[in-house]
Amino acid sequence: MLNYSNPITEQKSYSGLQLKEINPIMKLIVRGKKREFLSAIGQSLNLLLPNEPNTSTRTDKLTALWLSPDEWMIYSNETSNLDNNDYDIENILNKKISKTNLGAITNVTDQFVLINLKGDKIYDLFETGSPFNFNKFRNKVGSVTQTILAKIDVIIQNTNQNEVNLFVRRSFSQHLFSWMNDSASRL
Amino acid sequence: MFIIHCPYCGEREQSEFKAGGEAHISRPKQPSELSDDQWAEYLFMRKNIKGVQYERWVHTHGCRKWFNIIRDTSNDQIQAVYKMGEKPPIK
Repeated sequence: MLNYSNPITEQKSYSGLQLKEINPIMKLIVRGKKREFLSAIGQSLNLLLPNEPNTSTRTDKLTALWLSPDEWMIYSNETSNLDNNDYDIENILNKKISKTNLGAITNVTDQFVLINLKGDKIYDLFETGSPFNFNKFRNKVGSVTQTILAKIDVIIQNTNQNEVNLFVRRSFSQHLFSWMNDSASRL
Repeated sequence: MFIIHCPYCGEREQSEFKAGGEAHISRPKQPSELSDDQWAEYLFMRKNIKGVQYERWVHTHGCRKWFNIIRDTSNDQIQAVYKMGEKPPIK
């Protein structure tokens, strides 16, 4: 990506909790309802979009998050090249989905910031600022939720035992990160 | 504060939702033929009763979908939740 300046520059570590930003990660929002839309995505990416609410699917390269009955977020598992902001996957989907009016593809790479949290105190941190009940979420790897954390809209994915990916809008990311550090320091 | 069962995402806390007012108010077919009073009746007048009411809600901080709720406004008990376009399950 060209001239990328990331809003979060530090990695923070507390007992039982580590926070860091991962970038640059390609992120796409895909929207569509038709059956052909789902099969076109499946064929072109070799990735099945999750049908079941609050879940995600994963291949070697990509992860798809369920956001709504007709909306998904697809992101790359690996960081992409810093000198390039042209993504093959976006181009393929534009050709197969947008140009054929099956659905909509939006590149939200720069709109969302991905914060990775590790440690056994993640959910203690979330519980200080979210109305969401994490009891089932924390035991099911692959769960996804869109909820509020410190009054900020976030998308949270349980990627592994004691590891989550958190997506937040870029303009809120610095504030959320400083809130998380503040809150983590008194857990 | 109460819990709402979103028909798409499941049980969530009320602060994730926004209320959208009374449900099942249909727009007049020929607005130009209405008098100002009738138009105002459609546009502004809501029942706002104490008791069981049909309401629209939106899951703003979640899936961003609209749906209907039958809620008792006196004690916030939700009697039914159903999707947009569906008939109310209770009369």
